[in-house]
Amino acid sequence: MRRKDLMRMCLQNLLRRKSRTLLTVLGVFIGCCSIVIMVSLGIGMKEAQESLLAQMGDLTIITVNAPQGGKGKTKLDEALVKRLRSLGGVEAVTPKQSLEADRIRLLAGTGNRYIAEWTTVAGVDMDTLEPLGFRLTQGEAAHRSGEVMAGEYLAYNFKDTLRPEGRNMVDRWGGELDENGQLTEFPPPYLDPMKGKMTLEIEHDGGRYTFPITVAGVTKEDYAKGSETSDGLMMSLSDLRGIWDKIQRGKKKALPYTSVLVKVTGIDQVEPVEQEIKAMGYNTESMESIRKPMEQEARQKQMMLGGLGAISLFVAALGITNTMIMSISERTREIGIMKSLGCYVTDIRVMFLAEAGAIGLIGGVVGCVSSGIISLIVNLVSLGPSVENLLPALLGGEGVRRLSVIPLWLPVFGIFFSVLIGLASGYYPANKAVQIPALEAIKSE
Amino acid sequence: MNGPDLRGRPVIEVKDLRKEYPIGDETVVALKRINLHVMRGEICCIFGTSGSGKSTLLNQLAGMEKPTRGEVRIGGVPISRLSERQLASFRQQHLGFVFQSYNLLPNLTATENVAMPLMFRGVPRAEREAAARKLLCRVGLSHRLDHFPGQMSGGQQQRAGIARAFIARPDVVFADEPTGNLDSKTTAEIMEMICAFARRYHQTIILVTHDPEMAAYADRIVTLIDGEIVGNQVNQKEKSQYEA
Repeated sequence: MRRKDLMRMCLQNLLRRKSRTLLTVLGVFIGCCSIVIMVSLGIGMKEAQESLLAQMGDLTIITVNAPQGGKGKTKLDEALVKRLRSLGGVEAVTPKQSLEADRIRLLAGTGNRYIAEWTTVAGVDMDTLEPLGFRLTQGEAAHRSGEVMAGEYLAYNFKDTLRPEGRNMVDRWGGELDENGQLTEFPPPYLDPMKGKMTLEIEHDGGRYTFPITVAGVTKEDYAKGSETSDGLMMSLSDLRGIWDKIQRGKKKALPYTSVLVKVTGIDQVEPVEQEIKAMGYNTESMESIRKPMEQEARQKQMMLGGLGAISLFVAALGITNTMIMSISERTREIGIMKSLGCYVTDIRVMFLAEAGAIGLIGGVVGCVSSGIISLIVNLVSLGPSVENLLPALLGGEGVRRLSVIPLWLPVFGIFFSVLIGLASGYYPANKAVQIPALEAIKSE
Repeated sequence: MNGPDLRGRPVIEVKDLRKEYPIGDETVVALKRINLHVMRGEICCIFGTSGSGKSTLLNQLAGMEKPTRGEVRIGGVPISRLSERQLASFRQQHLGFVFQSYNLLPNLTATENVAMPLMFRGVPRAEREAAARKLLCRVGLSHRLDHFPGQMSGGQQQRAGIARAFIARPDVVFADEPTGNLDSKTTAEIMEMICAFARRYHQTIILVTHDPEMAAYADRIVTLIDGEIVGNQVNQKEKSQYEA
């Protein structure tokens, strides 16, 4: 038989018992829907966790520390940096050196009107900032001597000396709250660090030193890369060493690296690279220690949800088998007639398998389309039902928390799985149909 | 297997055929020892009362069941030894069936039903349905082409059944009590139609009946009693009437 004829026969037979076909398809539809929705909720959960973690810091940064504060045998030095750069899966490495002084102050504005009484200063390899994934909110990376990068919220550390004590600082968290108790926006600080020059004032060993600096850019807050991205200053390693040499008054005391930042190529590389660095005898820190158990839990939940969905699809499979057996016992005589007129056994098998597969396919397609709509509604309700939220609810985006996330592979998998279930549950009935002898055609009623 | 040479030799050769059925602990012998030759173009009637084994013999001839012993050859092909697929292919090429209860598929139109044997062969739809419509017009159903079996009378259904049996130009057509459910006037019409088709294309008909009136249409009457052939005679009078 031609494939076209087989398909037409299969369709005709499905349409013959419309309500029975519809009910069976409904079973597959519910099963497919529940799998897709459940898995999409699991993926949504995982996505929410991941964005939560990413807000806390870059997930692919490993901070390397020396044991015993660098006083032991293992030291953070240039040799280590080179060694780390050569590891597989490592994208970029920078040493980090913190300035240790008795007091570090920042002065800005006309007549040094604005003063930050406390700040931290770190030196990093400016050329590796971009590959390390440092993000800027303003300006550009500092490349010239005397240029620095300010932390995102550094400006809030300044007090206005012309205002009365106690009311001369802007509270970053002092803005208006919305109905959920969330800050709508931060109040504006007194100064823009990008405008005008600043003076770095350092007191150390009884001496006072000032260094003029220019803020070339403002970094986005990221604790995985250090608190300097939030409320400190970053400068090139050579500038920092210059300052250090000056405040030591020629003592030439060596300043060891405080830590080394390592960025790996992907989340899956964090664990192996960390293991390797630990094997060298260094201490490491990364978000992995938080992410890993969270991911494991998410995966467990996802499996549980998917399993629940799968159960309903398996129930639907029983429905298909039942429908096909019914249909075959009704059509025993017809099968006998077809055989006696010369229909090949394989054609009969294909015909019944196609019927079962078609039930799976229709249920799967309708189920996936409906799941998409249900998922959209769920997201819209959680985001607030409005037209502007339609697109983020559908596609997600930066900072959008979706309850249900359907990646492209999920409906493809859903339809494929439904067809597979259909074919598998049609296998036994099709075998039964094939065994019906041609003699059935001659038997009188 | 394609196009066996059927000239100059019997189309159907039955040799020492025996068929037993186990019923409970006992074995019932339905056919004892059948030897039979049917020539090409012959209308052969297998005549007998119910329980005489005539239906069993038909099943054996058409390859519906395997014999206990002996063999059946159609056009020289030992059909009792063919595999299921070979048998299906053989049926497509060489055999046609007319059933007592018409056996049209209820969800197909008259045209689709008649075209069915060609569909199994893989003939394209337009081609096979054109052939089916032509044949339906010849059996007088030009006004019933797109009707479903449920919308037709018994006689009309059987005429569609005859068209279906002959559409693939088979060598042998088996007719099992083809008029058993019809009144006498329609019976005559149907029988004459079958005989006319057979004469025109020189096809062999195996007609199974318990009705002596129907047997009168045949060239040869094989009488069966208790699984044995007790008579095998040429029907001179009727033959001359049809060949005139």
